[in-house]
Amino acid sequence: MSITINDLTLGFVGDVSGIDITRPLSADEAATLEAGMDRYAVLIYHDQPLTDDQQKAFSRNFGPLELAAGGTVTKTAERRLDGEMQDVSNLDANQQPLARDDRRRLFNLGNQLWHSDSSFRAVPAKFSILSGRIVVDAGGNTEFADMRAAYDALDAGTKADIEDLVCEHSLIYSRGTLGFTELSDAEKQMFKPVRQRLVRVHPVTGRKSLYLSSHAGTIIGWPMPEARAFLRDLNEHAVQPRFTYAHKWKQHDLVMWDNRTTMHRVRRFDETKIRDMRRTTVAGDRVTVEQMAA
Amino acid sequence: MQISALNPGFVGEVYGIDISAPLSLDQVAAIEAGMDQYGVLVFRDQKLTDEQQCEYSRNFGELEATLIGQMSKPSERRLGPVEMGDISNLGPDGKLRGRDDNRRMYALGNRLWHADASFRATGAIYSLPSARVVPGFGGNTEFADMRAAYDALDTATKALIEDLVTEHSIAFSRAELGFDDYGEGNADKIRPVRHSLVRTHPVTRRKSLYLSAHIGTILGWPMPEARAFIRDLTEHATQPQFRHAHQWRVNDLVMWDNRTTMHRARRYRDLEEVRDLRRTTIRGIGLTAAQVPAMAAE
Repeated sequence: MSITINDLTLGFVGDVSGIDITRPLSADEAATLEAGMDRYAVLIYHDQPLTDDQQKAFSRNFGPLELAAGGTVTKTAERRLDGEMQDVSNLDANQQPLARDDRRRLFNLGNQLWHSDSSFRAVPAKFSILSGRIVVDAGGNTEFADMRAAYDALDAGTKADIEDLVCEHSLIYSRGTLGFTELSDAEKQMFKPVRQRLVRVHPVTGRKSLYLSSHAGTIIGWPMPEARAFLRDLNEHAVQPRFTYAHKWKQHDLVMWDNRTTMHRVRRFDETKIRDMRRTTVAGDRVTVEQMAA
Repeated sequence: MQISALNPGFVGEVYGIDISAPLSLDQVAAIEAGMDQYGVLVFRDQKLTDEQQCEYSRNFGELEATLIGQMSKPSERRLGPVEMGDISNLGPDGKLRGRDDNRRMYALGNRLWHADASFRATGAIYSLPSARVVPGFGGNTEFADMRAAYDALDTATKALIEDLVTEHSIAFSRAELGFDDYGEGNADKIRPVRHSLVRTHPVTRRKSLYLSAHIGTILGWPMPEARAFIRDLTEHATQPQFRHAHQWRVNDLVMWDNRTTMHRARRYRDLEEVRDLRRTTIRGIGLTAAQVPAMAAE
């Protein structure tokens, strides 16, 4: 059995077959998948019934794991999963759907905004790896946008305008967009803005991409309303249908994406139904721009 | 007078009329019928003074003051009466506004899809900007047809939204861009008002989505859920098939029906080039939803 990757779009999303990722991978297999990630940016695997431990072991083939702490308002004692698993479900620790006005649910609604995972961290994430344990029949698609193609399609004037721009990213900004503004002092400290380049270069392919995210709340040196209006225009450009792909989940699908070159979002679904998605995240290894001294 | 479709069923261009002169009742009726049929009408080569523009506009109802006019001191206004909306990048001295200018920050909210004056309990009927100076690059106004957008919703979504009531405030749209500096004494002007999310045109009886960047929440919904849902509806409603871009020429007058359309301005080099549009607005009649009585303490 050997790994095959079928192109679902033009060079953006690959469909992987011929591998069982529940068992340990050989170095060659891991290298093939990593090369596939560099070529595509999103890879989809089917029929991979994983335990959390198997998902973590698979994920570590691509680097150390990022911890969930710092990216959520869910308290440690309320966690359903361990600290290396990001809980992207709509469930509480008793496996019940969160109530409509539950603070954790309202915070998680921010995932419906186009974003790149962990762009609010000074060292943002490399890959996200999301396993569909229980999926919903209607809605709940995950959509992806190719930030390399979106960058390539900008006119020369815009490329020159944005080349050296630096944005501030924070969960305070993305949640504020939805009117989620009540944060404790500890949360405000945890979500303190970080800086990210607006144009970043992939370390392996050398391709440039737009580093956009709902977490981006301003551009250094710009008045905030002007920065936000401009970022909205760039976002609108970058998520046009020709740059996007919608994944409809089946149980035991696993999707991995490169946060350095893509944005994604989840679509609305009936949240009285159980949707149990579990994410591991491969940590990044560098900042995109120098940070402010603390 | 003739109307030819620039965008079938949505945007018409009007020929054979001089709107700087007084209109006959028949002419007014023909224009109103055109507005009901289309939603947006474009008049080219109409050289207007402010007085002529006001006079033309009054054919369609009472003039509405602009909110920013009401929020400003007379010395801060470039144009005299508050009924003459200043959609320009010029200060009261006639010079380009600076990058950090408070009014420039406020005006950037016009780049969000909105219906004019939806932050008022009665909304607005028509908006009628006249282009006096246009920039060489950018600054288009884009329109989206909220009737077609409503029609294209699936049955379940139509049922879900039929009776929803939204809250609108200028503070919601401006906060979206990180602006909240309205100056003293203007707290009463940012108090939310209520509107039905689905409204019916009084003449054509067609339903439309009453969306606007000024929406901050849906009554009975948690705010983040309401905002996420309104974003989804707005994304649906502003797809290319529902949209039309107007590229301004000097002496264009465009009138649109705020009950059936949204619009937005696009970016231009506003620190370098003048864009001087002057807008009159026809005051809305009646409410789309019951309001909350103002609290006595305020």
